[in-house]
Amino acid sequence: MNLIGARTLLGKEVRRFLRVPGQTVLQPLISTSLYFVVFGYTLGGRQAQVEGVPYVQYIVPGLVFLGVANNAFLNASSSFFITKIQGTIVDLLVAPLGATELLFGFISGAMVRGLLVGLLTWVVALFFTGAHLVNVFETALFLGLSAYVFSVLGLLAGIWAEKFEQINFFPTFLMLPLTFLGGVFYSVRGLPEPFRTISLFNPVVHMVEGLRAGMLGLEHSSPVGLALLVTLALAATALAWTMLRNGYRIKS
Amino acid sequence: MLGNGRDWWQVPRPVAPVLDVDSLMKAYPKQRALDGVSLTIEAGEIFALLGPNGAGKTTLIGAVCGLVRKTSGTVKVFGIDLDVDPVTPRYQMGLVPQEINFDPFFTVRESLRIQQGYFGVAPDLARIDELLEALALTSKADQPTRALSGGMKRRLLIAKALVHRPRLVFLDEPTAGVDVELRRDLWAYVRKLRAEGTTVVLTTHYLEEAEELADRVGIIDQGKLLLVEEKTALMKRLGERHVKVRFASKVAALPAALEGTLSTDGLSYAFVEQPAVGPRAAEVLQRIFSAGLPVADVSTGSAKLEDILLRVLKQGKAAT
Repeated sequence: MNLIGARTLLGKEVRRFLRVPGQTVLQPLISTSLYFVVFGYTLGGRQAQVEGVPYVQYIVPGLVFLGVANNAFLNASSSFFITKIQGTIVDLLVAPLGATELLFGFISGAMVRGLLVGLLTWVVALFFTGAHLVNVFETALFLGLSAYVFSVLGLLAGIWAEKFEQINFFPTFLMLPLTFLGGVFYSVRGLPEPFRTISLFNPVVHMVEGLRAGMLGLEHSSPVGLALLVTLALAATALAWTMLRNGYRIKS
Repeated sequence: MLGNGRDWWQVPRPVAPVLDVDSLMKAYPKQRALDGVSLTIEAGEIFALLGPNGAGKTTLIGAVCGLVRKTSGTVKVFGIDLDVDPVTPRYQMGLVPQEINFDPFFTVRESLRIQQGYFGVAPDLARIDELLEALALTSKADQPTRALSGGMKRRLLIAKALVHRPRLVFLDEPTAGVDVELRRDLWAYVRKLRAEGTTVVLTTHYLEEAEELADRVGIIDQGKLLLVEEKTALMKRLGERHVKVRFASKVAALPAALEGTLSTDGLSYAFVEQPAVGPRAAEVLQRIFSAGLPVADVSTGSAKLEDILLRVLKQGKAAT
């Protein structure tokens, strides 16, 4: 494996988003914080309680997840897509970088951005709700899994998309419904059937519940949910690796 | 012990060609971009691949450099079959792509450093400075790449292709849009690369460039390699010499034994020396002076690579 090459690609990806922090870090931080203020405070969230926890505190893990997932996805998808559009993909294809090195560079770069925005969202939440971190290992596990899965999904979108219209399709038609119906702002356990069961097929539900379990000590994450996420991560990785190896929509 | 009195380890190993392409085919739904191309390139030569737009030059380079998926055939680089190991040979390869590309997030120096890293090379700032100097980019080293002019961006592509000291470099139209002075500097740099043992494969629309630099020339059209030959041998074999004579007064008719064409006003004469056929230019001139024709001025010139290219392409089209 070309370790220097993979590390260089990771470093480039991180420096790329840090060059425009207003767009890549500050903007998502502000929008996630606005969700926090609107849903947690102005819509009566200060008085309400969910599963014995003040609503404003209940939505913190979901909002942290939102920051992680959106930014991991967007970083991987836009970075790879722009690399194709501006032609610098040639630099990567000519270099001794195999599918593994490319996967490592793009996914880890996207994870860094996602986790950075998630961490900053949590820091903002501290000012409103105080610090709540019941299980560090469980929190780190679900944060890492969420960042990883959405980085790979973003990379898949970046590889597949050939037009700006196609790359913009995912945030609107995939990310938004998955996250908003994934229990970010509510507990899917309280939904009537069949919506409760249907919701459990949404991987976002298990990511958010895992984070709630880790941060607030609520709703223990289920082994089935964890297995679903790991399976999704492995399947998406295998697909992305195969696409990169075969040069799908990259090589003519 | 071998029959010639030497042990097996004393027998010189045959040196594999730097590039060995065999029956390479690239078919798109409506056309064959490469149609059974076979080509061998030896270490340390400058090989110019010539042909009209859409002939298959960039596709051939792309198939070797990993940008194009071949339909069939084999490509070996440094003796390694790319179907078996597509990655290892790339540590020693560099490409200047035809299309200008740049990452606007980074400066010139950062772009070169990143490119070094992609090729598994530890930071070598001296190499970067050397290339910046050679390609007249030192003053722009810390500027963002988007601030560069078109010619500068192309020079940056050349620097990126060389920053990891490759042994095989593909230059696909490297001097398009580069001004004349810098073009000549680049030619000098390419010669320096060859002197250091680097093998260079060049495509160019400036045939003067190929004429100036190439050791061997390949001519490709419609995906078929029409000709591969030493440049000097090719120019000797297919290159004509032109003789033009201007007369001080009108000449009514040429002497009977003199080949060539007299102009309708009788004031000039033209002769084309065909390689290995008919009289030589010197013989023709001798006959003109012997005949006492009123010569005012004589000029001679050799065919350019451009003329030879056009003739080979015409012959190729006629054959298909």
